[in-house]
Amino acid sequence: MKKIIIITAAFLGLVFTACENELDLNSPNDITVDQYWKTESDAQAGVNSIYAMFYKDGLWARWIYFRLDLTSDEGYSVSPWTELADWTRFNYINYNFWEGNAVTWRDTYKAIFRCNQVLANVPNITFQNEDDKKKIIAQAKFFRALHYYYAAVIWEDIPLVLDPSTPQDLPQQKKVTEVWAQIEKDLNEAFEDLPSSWAKSATNEIDQSGRPDKGAVKAFLAKTYMQQHKWAEAKTALEYLITGPGARYSLVSNYRDNFTDVNENNSESVFEIQFGDQRKGGTGEDQNAAVSSNRCQFFAPRGIGWSDGQARFWLVNAFKQEKNKDGNLDIRLRWTLYYPQLLADFGDKTYNRNWEWNNDEAWFRKGSRDYYRDNEDYYSQVNYRLVRYGDILLRYAEVLNELGSTSQAYQYVDMVRARVNMNTLAVAHPEIGNNHDLFLERLKMERVLELCGESVRWEDLKRWGDLDSQAAVDKIALRDPDFKNFKVGKNHRMPIPQSDVDNNPNLEQNSGY
Amino acid sequence: MKTKLTHFLTKRYYLLVFFSLLLQPAFAQQITITGKVTSATGESIPFANVLIKGTQNGTATDFDGSFKISAAGNQTLVFSSQGYKTAEIAINNQTSINVTLQEDAMKLDEIVVVGYGTQQKKDLTGAVSLVKADEIQKRQVTTVADGLQGLVTGVKVRGGGRPGQEANVEIRGLKNLQNTNPLYVIDGLVTSGNRDFNPNDIESIQVLKDASAAAIYGSRAANGVIIITTKKGKKGPLKVEVSAKSSLQVMPRYDLMGTEEFAKWNNMAYDNAGLQRQNLNMAVDTDWQDAVFKTGMMQDYNASFSGGSENSTFFMSGNYFGNEGTVVGTDFDRISFRVNSSGTKGIFSIGENLAISNAKTDEMSGNPIIDVYRMTPTIPLYDPSNPGGYGYGKQGVADTFGTNPLALADFSNVINQNFRIRGNIWSELKFAPWLKYRFNFGYETSFDSYKFLRKVGNWTLNQPPDPSIANQNKARSETMLFENTLTFKKEFGKHDITVLVGQTFQKDKYDIIYGEKRNLPINSGNGQYYEVLNQGNSPVVGGYINEAALASYLGRIEYNYDNRYLFNAVLRRDGSSRFSDENKWGNFPSVSAGWRVSNEPFFKSEFIKDLKLRASYGELGSGNIGNYEYKSFVNNFGQIVLGNGQTLYPSAAQVKLSNAQLRWEKLKQTNIGLDFGVLNNDLRLTADYFIARTEDVLFGFPILLTTGNDGGNPIANAATVENKGFELELAYSKKINEFSFNASVNFTKINNKLVSLGNGQNENISGNTITRAGMPVGMWYVLQTDGLFQNQQEIDNYKTADGKVIMPNAVPGDIRFKDINGDGQISSTDKTISGSPWPEFEMGLNAGAEYKGFDFSMNWIASHGATVYNGFRSVVDRFDDNSNYRAGIQPWTPENPNTDFPRITKGSTLNSRGDSDRFLESGDFIRLKYVGFGYNLPESVLKNSGITRARLTLSAQNIITITKYKGLDPEFTNGNIFERGFDNGAFPNLKTYSLGVEFGF
Repeated sequence: MKKIIIITAAFLGLVFTACENELDLNSPNDITVDQYWKTESDAQAGVNSIYAMFYKDGLWARWIYFRLDLTSDEGYSVSPWTELADWTRFNYINYNFWEGNAVTWRDTYKAIFRCNQVLANVPNITFQNEDDKKKIIAQAKFFRALHYYYAAVIWEDIPLVLDPSTPQDLPQQKKVTEVWAQIEKDLNEAFEDLPSSWAKSATNEIDQSGRPDKGAVKAFLAKTYMQQHKWAEAKTALEYLITGPGARYSLVSNYRDNFTDVNENNSESVFEIQFGDQRKGGTGEDQNAAVSSNRCQFFAPRGIGWSDGQARFWLVNAFKQEKNKDGNLDIRLRWTLYYPQLLADFGDKTYNRNWEWNNDEAWFRKGSRDYYRDNEDYYSQVNYRLVRYGDILLRYAEVLNELGSTSQAYQYVDMVRARVNMNTLAVAHPEIGNNHDLFLERLKMERVLELCGESVRWEDLKRWGDLDSQAAVDKIALRDPDFKNFKVGKNHRMPIPQSDVDNNPNLEQNSGY
Repeated sequence: MKTKLTHFLTKRYYLLVFFSLLLQPAFAQQITITGKVTSATGESIPFANVLIKGTQNGTATDFDGSFKISAAGNQTLVFSSQGYKTAEIAINNQTSINVTLQEDAMKLDEIVVVGYGTQQKKDLTGAVSLVKADEIQKRQVTTVADGLQGLVTGVKVRGGGRPGQEANVEIRGLKNLQNTNPLYVIDGLVTSGNRDFNPNDIESIQVLKDASAAAIYGSRAANGVIIITTKKGKKGPLKVEVSAKSSLQVMPRYDLMGTEEFAKWNNMAYDNAGLQRQNLNMAVDTDWQDAVFKTGMMQDYNASFSGGSENSTFFMSGNYFGNEGTVVGTDFDRISFRVNSSGTKGIFSIGENLAISNAKTDEMSGNPIIDVYRMTPTIPLYDPSNPGGYGYGKQGVADTFGTNPLALADFSNVINQNFRIRGNIWSELKFAPWLKYRFNFGYETSFDSYKFLRKVGNWTLNQPPDPSIANQNKARSETMLFENTLTFKKEFGKHDITVLVGQTFQKDKYDIIYGEKRNLPINSGNGQYYEVLNQGNSPVVGGYINEAALASYLGRIEYNYDNRYLFNAVLRRDGSSRFSDENKWGNFPSVSAGWRVSNEPFFKSEFIKDLKLRASYGELGSGNIGNYEYKSFVNNFGQIVLGNGQTLYPSAAQVKLSNAQLRWEKLKQTNIGLDFGVLNNDLRLTADYFIARTEDVLFGFPILLTTGNDGGNPIANAATVENKGFELELAYSKKINEFSFNASVNFTKINNKLVSLGNGQNENISGNTITRAGMPVGMWYVLQTDGLFQNQQEIDNYKTADGKVIMPNAVPGDIRFKDINGDGQISSTDKTISGSPWPEFEMGLNAGAEYKGFDFSMNWIASHGATVYNGFRSVVDRFDDNSNYRAGIQPWTPENPNTDFPRITKGSTLNSRGDSDRFLESGDFIRLKYVGFGYNLPESVLKNSGITRARLTLSAQNIITITKYKGLDPEFTNGNIFERGFDNGAFPNLKTYSLGVEFGF
């Protein structure tokens, strides 16, 4: 018996020792967050991650164009995917619809989360050169402002998240005026520390075009002020680019150079999203995540792309209203739209095809790669000019008109018209004179002709108050029957994803929804 | 340092085995006893267990019922065999002992494996079910789980007929929100019951359902435990068993339109929408189901060899299982081998179980179950004008994004292959008859290979051109398990005590590398792609390693007083690498008790033969989450482009949020049970009532989108889930002369409720379901329909209280939706709870009969009360997006107003919305799951052939289904826990007809 007990005890001693140390397992695969944000290169890669948000499908890779271009009277959708099309014509039933709403909302805040990570962590990192640190922080502020800008345009009253997220966050919804104020604050702070150019120069060893410079900041400041009708402040901001220290821009002679990969980051570019085609992954966070735009795959005509979005035909007629100095069609029509007479008018086929679509249909051409291929795919490398000097000039004209300086505004419209061989505004439309309203009416058309399909129409309509009265909406509905569904006081901003409303006591659904 | 420690630990275990080999003290004076075991009718009982009482030493009778054993002259022999009452006979120095065993319908003496030990069925205090191996083996199944459907109360199995498809098992309801599959323990190795395992090797299955039964497996047992023991050799000459089974599988079909009928309705839909009709290709009339579905074929060949001597046994088996699928381009092949052996010398015994298998699956591409109805009959199978040559949608002719399943099978091919080694080595030292030490080392490793080849070619309208792509990965998983247990078992008068203490350590590792190349060249010689990653360009490589470890201490006390009072207590302490330091360890206790009333002296009933009351309470922990969930990581996969040179720059940020304070999920389960036998135990009843409450459920409910979280929802100790249920099994068996008959009914009712969502959340919406506190998980949450508008007047009169017309854009023939919130418009805020996907009860009926050499058995299952969503109808009945349609539909037209099918229009209307109750149906069904006939050739025929046993079987599965469900199969499965009732192109169960032969030599 004793022997048994001894043997047993010996065994127990041998085996019943804890393996508790074995339970401390760290992932051999990834760096943890608390190990990160230590070095300059951490900060650099961190701020770069904000740029990577342009490649996500909720934002500038894909779906945001449905919100900005297709919801406006420039575009529409006849996608067989009914719900997708419904979200371009104010038929919002399921507010959680991912592609139509939630993904853009989520990716907006995903981008803001990245900005907030940089803003919270980079100040604690020691840099050799303090200016480099300031530049990184300033970029994060610029992008936080940029993403809040589009969110304010799309949803208006939204939660302002200014710190890195945690799973339990229940952020407070703010009035759109407070959102604008935060955007102005971020932009004004960013302006101080950003350089005036990132292109290769005496001070820049390498070309990093695509990062925001002081001009880009002023452009977004101007956009922000204009949406609030703060015309004087907008004028000051725009003057930085036109006459002030940042006046280095000029219109490129070839209008189409704004929409191909041939002459990117050119003299007209104010802020340009950089796309590439080196990586063939998806729009997620995979190892080979793409750096491309899907826009043309979704907007190309049926049989070439998915054709989930196309252009309203009234645009074709609008271009044809006025001939150029030589009595020919406005060349911008050629580079803006695919339409039935494109071949007859300009000798261009559509992606090397004869017109095989209906006679009242048109598609967006800007950004298409038909100059070297017959189809599109998910990997377009063509940069997207989010703000270009043509837009800035027309904005300046608008601001001057609003401030009562209509006569001074003409020259800026004329610069835009001259590039495409159009007569001066005074010659072409002598009836306007110095009438504010007539000038604004004409400017609205000038903006369509110059900027159609460049994601500015929705904010333009809002700024002009054209979505605020039934009479104005009725007028739009003549061009775009989708606006028959438009309810004044409700549809000027989208519903907030219902899941966030239901689970955040600090967030209410936009009224009317 | 870490690796050194592991090394040392591992080494120490080997050392132990070695030690145990050395320790073999001599034993008392032995004599040899021979004899024969027979039944009451005089038939010899082969393979009966002969055990020396109070020891684990024993043998088994050979085919004639003869045995030979060495024992001390003063010991007692215990004879037992399934279906007979156990007999004990003192040796008293006799060298010849013949025994007659009495039949026992109740089989109370059946040995039940309960984890780290065995118990007799009569002594059970927890809820444990036994399944006879042949019940599973007679069905033609791919995995063990498929074979369990309808056989066990409280066990719900849902599978499908895709080759290699693994069925889902849910024991006693949905207890957490991650995964419902139970823990499988095969010969002591904690593993999964996946398709690599050969069900023919099973000797016995026990299902541990309540907390007290499963508690010994602690943190992994919250979903219940399925314990499988594989066949062992028995003493006697070499025994050979050979079986072959061939089955045909038939796919159920949709009733879809041909071109003529399709054109009529498609044109009407365009007309009603004011659109120009499509230029339909009326010359084509494709039956996509004919092209894609075919008769499947299953082949199952099995051979086993077993035998043994006094002190050692062996069992070997080989199996080939092949399943050519019912859908083009699907196939499953498995080859498996097994060797189980054991040996004893003195107080030392050792054994191993080893299985090697290779399984290869040609996986289904896309989902042909959906494709066959999304493709219209006007689309040809092949169209040379398309890239790749397959037919698909065409603008203005056949406007659909349906995908051609033949093209997918050709251009997008996935092959998975797993080579798996699974087994364990154990050794036992019996220091004294009442004290046993056991060491068990379990090891499982799988070499997995995944090959994806994308060939150039298109399968759908407007598809962007893709280059050829080869994506492959090689992975290895490895599990090591070390277990040390010490068992003390002794009787003191009327007190019978068993105490078990033990310690276990398990380590899991998964290691994968993957690679991708694009633009693979084609070998001009044979027209095949060079699919080895040597060729092509744009390489992508990657890999990752996941590791987890679990350390546990366990203890169990079983106490039996006079076969009347039974008591059982378990305590387990688990530590997991998946939780942060302060939360790594959890303690999980359970207690249970039983009272065998029928053994009480006061209980005197001729009618009631057996009566036992059971009660148990236990807590189980679960750490069933990813390996590093409590940590936050930086994702540095991304890159960005800058400058005119399109230069790539690195990008890194936190993408996914995490909760640092994760802790063990706790299941608290109470069980009250009753076992009851009357009419000489011919009629038996087992009833159980249980309450299972899971707290701190580990789950990643969606968090606010404003967090910007991506890459999966962070796991949190979120919800509390409760399942209350009632299980009943009633069995009757009777033997009259040569005719024997048995029947059993089982009944399961489970009420699931989500008590709270946690995280301060109110509800979670997933697809068309909502999960709200106080209600079952995944209730249907949709717009409610209220008939059709017959005329404009009805539309105008459909107003809110304050006179606002609710659906002003409706047209006669449109569906009237209920304005639930009364705001005068129909939107997602009008959604309301519209049914439960949970059945009110489920039942199984098993019956069998035997007469002379013939036997018959069948198994019915039934489910009542579930509301399910017919994904098929939600596609084909909507009409705003082209697809094929159900044959014979009668949509609303002014001429045909008496219908519930709304007007059809190729346009955007509320009619076509999928989130309405229009597509909800009753999921009730009754199904003949299995029916089989067998014939054993009589011994007189076999006498001189050398064959000892020959049997023919003819069986069928799923051949009768009674249901009103309009989809393919009411017994469908959906892996999304919140959308369990959504039939989203689930692969149906197949009608299967099998013919089999078995021989024994």
